[in-house]
Amino acid sequence: MLSPNAEKIIDQYFNLPFPGVDGVRCPYFNNSRKRSRGQLRALVGKGSPKEIVEEAKIISTQYHLGIFENDCSVCKQNLTADDLRKFMIDHDLGIECSGFVSQVLRAHFRETKNIDFTTKLRIYPPAKFFRYIISILRPIENISVRVLADDRNSSVVGLKDVVAGDIITMLETQPTKQRNHVLLIRNIEDNIIDYVHARAWSGDGKYGHGVTAGNIEIIYPKDGLLEQKWTENGQSDNKNETYLEAKRAKVLQIRRLKI
Amino acid sequence: MPSFASVEILQQALVFLIGATALGFVLTPILTAILYKYKILRNAEYDPAMQGEKSAKAGTPIMGGLLVIIVVTAITIVFNWDRRYTYVPIGAMAFSALLGAADDLLNVFGGRRRLRNIKHALILIRVHKKWYMKIWHIITLPWTAFREATTMFGSKQNRGIQVHEKLFLQFVAGAVTAWWVYAKLGASWQTLWIPFDGSVYVGWLIIPIIIFFVMFTANAVNIADGLDGLVGGSLIITFMALGILSWIEGRTAFAPFNMTVVGALIAYTYFNIKPARFQMGDVGSLGLGTLLAINTIAINKTLLLPLLGFIFYVEIFSVILQVLFRRLLGRRLFKMAPLHHHFEMIGWSEEKIVMRFWIIQAFVVIVAVWIALR
Repeated sequence: MLSPNAEKIIDQYFNLPFPGVDGVRCPYFNNSRKRSRGQLRALVGKGSPKEIVEEAKIISTQYHLGIFENDCSVCKQNLTADDLRKFMIDHDLGIECSGFVSQVLRAHFRETKNIDFTTKLRIYPPAKFFRYIISILRPIENISVRVLADDRNSSVVGLKDVVAGDIITMLETQPTKQRNHVLLIRNIEDNIIDYVHARAWSGDGKYGHGVTAGNIEIIYPKDGLLEQKWTENGQSDNKNETYLEAKRAKVLQIRRLKI
Repeated sequence: MPSFASVEILQQALVFLIGATALGFVLTPILTAILYKYKILRNAEYDPAMQGEKSAKAGTPIMGGLLVIIVVTAITIVFNWDRRYTYVPIGAMAFSALLGAADDLLNVFGGRRRLRNIKHALILIRVHKKWYMKIWHIITLPWTAFREATTMFGSKQNRGIQVHEKLFLQFVAGAVTAWWVYAKLGASWQTLWIPFDGSVYVGWLIIPIIIFFVMFTANAVNIADGLDGLVGGSLIITFMALGILSWIEGRTAFAPFNMTVVGALIAYTYFNIKPARFQMGDVGSLGLGTLLAINTIAINKTLLLPLLGFIFYVEIFSVILQVLFRRLLGRRLFKMAPLHHHFEMIGWSEEKIVMRFWIIQAFVVIVAVWIALR
């Protein structure tokens, strides 16, 4: 199991702390299309649940969108979780895969090892001075799947050695675009790996995506990840888009951060 | 240290104050009627600060600060015109007010401005068919870069006068003031008064110091002008202190001059208290911010400006810190900047924020006066 605080963060992503409305699952947002630079963490898909909710409040207030009561202490009465998700997606609020994993692991390692793991990662070398300084000041924003999958930051582990807190990295999952993905292993019990991640399936449409949980049932312990049974949103095998993405990935590995 | 204080100067200054207040009250209905007639009104569409009960402010006339500018200019020109002391402060204030007025009017009546970014300019330099346009884009490239750099420090506007244009024109106002102080007021103004420690001769360095303070203070007052009564009430306290300091130091031109501003501000603030009959607009905030800096510099208390204009400096620093936090650390320091919006976001009423800011301003200004008299 992940640490209690890490679990709490995951729960908050599944149920964002909007005052007065329950069940708002955090949507997926990736900044690669919008390419905002020097922006707030919450506006580039890297924010914590609290930061995302805070930004939603501020956007609602700033552009008088009427999501919250005037003092922002509570959402307007007739709002549903779907309304809030739609509002967030329309205003580019959400979390992307590496941001989600980084936020959860930061809470996990703070509690279990009393360290901020983001400061231990090698994000940019000192030779790239400007980027290096930025990565020290804003580590979460600069942690990508590539950084997590870098041999200097993590090492490959076998399927039988996997523990909670390990990550499944998928590099170059599309032939044309530089697209990578990462899943966080939440729990392992009875040969079933529970994972969580932030992503958008093509079938999710404009408003259906977000933080999601799934599992991998280890049927053939001696074989690789792709030979196991992946289930997510009630879909398995080729109907499971996460599995399809894993299949398409040039590099698919289970990794453990060197902390 | 106090040098000379005569009751006659004080009496004269108070007459200016009373006269300015009376003239302000007389002119207010005329100004309000003009603003309504020409529909110089606050437009909610372009104003991100308008939310909840503040949206009731849509349709309120702006450019109410014109009242103070007109009253101060008229009374000073007619009764207190001194080529050595008052004509440059009035000129610089009028210049800044003009800049603010242009911004206010363009915000109300102007269309969206098409502004090219540096990438676009570089592409035009490469691909434009006409050679003279290529040269034009090369010549204006530093200006474009300057504009792009200034957008980092604030929200992107596409109406009115842009930040980089304002900064340039404020630089001109600051430079004129600096020239006046350096060349016209004499060698004693080339020393910088240091609190508790006499003064230090700075020579020509007084020029950049003055330019900085004029630009910074004008923008500080401009930024603080976001709630009904906030800037008007705070400026009354500040100019009152400047008037008292001028009187104590026996500055016969500046004591009445500062009291004239107080009088005009009393009339303005009376009508600006929530629910405001009109709002200051950039015409008032930029003009009065410039005047605040110049009048403080003119009585050689430049280093007291952060205390005399405490609330304004706090407000502008809240914006600077917010931008630094946002750009460098990716998070907010305040829920919203300037600071008064932060307090609004945490649920304080407009009246509570304004009155608390007045109290704080009054206390810090008292401290500033105490330091000045040491």
